[in-house]
Amino acid sequence: MNNDDFLGYSPEDKHQLQLERLQSTLNRAFRQVSFHRQRMKAAGVEPGEIESAADVAKLPFLERADFNEHYPYELFAVPLRDIVRIHTAPGTSRNPTVSGYTAQDLSNWRHMTRRALSAASVSPSDILQIAFNPGLANWGRDFKDAAEDMGVSVIPNTWLSTDKQFMVLRDYKTTVLVTSPAFALQLAGYMHRMQVGPAALNLHTIIIAGEKISDERRKTIEEQAFVTCWLHYGLNEVPGPTIAFECKAHDGLHINEDHFLAEIIDPETTQVLPAGQAGELVLTTLTTRAFPLIRFRTGDKARIMEAPCPCGSPLARIEWFGQRTDDIMKVDGVNIHRQQVQNILEEALPVSAAQVNCRVKDDNGRNFLEIFLPMNEEFFSDEIKEIEKLLRKTEDRLREDLGVAVAIRLVEKGQSG
Amino acid sequence: MESMLRIRNLKCFYGRIMAVKGISLSVKQGEIIALIGANGAGKSTLMEAVSGILRAWTGEIVFEGKSLKGMDPPAVVRNGISLVPEGRLIFPPLSVYDNLRLGAYTRLRQRAKEEVEQSMEMVTSLFPILEERFNQPAGTLSGGEQQMLAIGRSLMAKPRLLLLDEPSMGLAPLIVEKIMEVLETLRRKGLTIVLVEQNALAALEAADRGYVFETGTVVLEGKADELLSDQNVKRAYLGKDYEEFDDEQR
Repeated sequence: MNNDDFLGYSPEDKHQLQLERLQSTLNRAFRQVSFHRQRMKAAGVEPGEIESAADVAKLPFLERADFNEHYPYELFAVPLRDIVRIHTAPGTSRNPTVSGYTAQDLSNWRHMTRRALSAASVSPSDILQIAFNPGLANWGRDFKDAAEDMGVSVIPNTWLSTDKQFMVLRDYKTTVLVTSPAFALQLAGYMHRMQVGPAALNLHTIIIAGEKISDERRKTIEEQAFVTCWLHYGLNEVPGPTIAFECKAHDGLHINEDHFLAEIIDPETTQVLPAGQAGELVLTTLTTRAFPLIRFRTGDKARIMEAPCPCGSPLARIEWFGQRTDDIMKVDGVNIHRQQVQNILEEALPVSAAQVNCRVKDDNGRNFLEIFLPMNEEFFSDEIKEIEKLLRKTEDRLREDLGVAVAIRLVEKGQSG
Repeated sequence: MESMLRIRNLKCFYGRIMAVKGISLSVKQGEIIALIGANGAGKSTLMEAVSGILRAWTGEIVFEGKSLKGMDPPAVVRNGISLVPEGRLIFPPLSVYDNLRLGAYTRLRQRAKEEVEQSMEMVTSLFPILEERFNQPAGTLSGGEQQMLAIGRSLMAKPRLLLLDEPSMGLAPLIVEKIMEVLETLRRKGLTIVLVEQNALAALEAADRGYVFETGTVVLEGKADELLSDQNVKRAYLGKDYEEFDDEQR
């Protein structure tokens, strides 16, 4: 791929570049963000003491709750007038997560996403359709920008019914689909049921983003939809979609190590685990200007694969397990924190959050959040009609705040759905 | 391609004062690298450490796979690195010709007389004006000519890596442009170049990549065109520190 010098770097040069970028990131964060400066000081460490990638273990972690506390702009490392895009994602509790991007940040995302698309053999002759849940609208933009940059014909992310998405897929001769596992599975199921043959669609590639997919389900999709699947790993709050991506070997995901430093920690003890062991993925941004992450705990379970990839790429690989090491539920790739759901419910309804249960449910290719509320006396002080109204209003509020579909079900006390 | 010059965690001291506080940077064969930032940010100190003038440093400086730790300036020159110092530091009473010959001091001692002649031809074809002024005392040259002489003198040591400290200082814009063109010519001749400049615009326009220095640290690195369009660099280029600029903003 053009201009992607980093893929030709020797291990020595790769480490050098990572060290240079790590140090300048820490210097910027220390100077520009009082949160980072205070925490480094509290931990008794200055940026100058970080002399190798392994030294990041001396630094404190950044967690999702910190985004909430420093809402909206306190974690930005550049003046607001340098920001060209502001993005909102569901937060952990009261406040949403707000991240910003400089023009250079967006250019870096285009670079990473181009690299990931190229690895999946996407080329200018392709027609690429993006079908994400509205909660992943920012990923939709990143894929669109990168693919357009490559000269690919892009059908941008639009909120369409499943039928309409299929119509576009067929009539517009889409060759590459970027979507969630649930939608890909539904497409495959639909093609299977309708006995659609390989010649009926032009589709040859599905890029699955947002959630891990099991080998078994991937096989189903590939066989029934006559495609090759490529898995991408990203974060939907900050900063973007293609942090790691599959290559032709389809064995683990290559991390964009020129932009991210990855560590694996034990989520209980928070100690860094030896190479090859599975634990929580922790990421530090190396190039981000506006919203640097320093030792950000992703909550995703992964392990760093030690063996070099047969594809020859110098980028290290992770094995992504799909499980969470925290309290987050993934709804079509959108991270939903239980605490945030509970907070909204407590504000809107006469319930105690501790009694609320929720789960992710599949509805014909689109996941939604199903919430089970135990009925109590408070509810019955009103007419049924009023209760219904209140529940629908609460669903609307949840949908707006979380960016995913929601259904609230009333259950008898003691039932959990 | 392996880096030609690799610096890791460099800390430089003037007595008890740390002027460079843990800098890592790298230069690949054939690159032009710009080090930019305000006065006192540590750029020149780093050059002094690389060229062996400043010995009080910790960390790693590796050139073509060899550590420069403990090397004195002549040894550094013999290993292929020449410095064009800030303020030129030519020898004003000596003739232009003698100034140039002094640049080949380490080679003349090795009796490489013919090769030195070749270098002299290279320098005079690069800067014909110097040949015209061969017998003139160097102190009578204009600022731009003195800078050419300083660069020419450093080339007489036949370096593979050329370090230039503020080559544009005190020169008219047209002359600065000429000097930057010379650097591009030298790169085509196979030289690798590191350039320290307060004139960030001129330096980044000539460079492939750059590092932005602030109070002894690197706060930004990247491709030159990226840095040129970066708001932070525009501020550094204006000679303002982050903090000052932010005070104005809020």
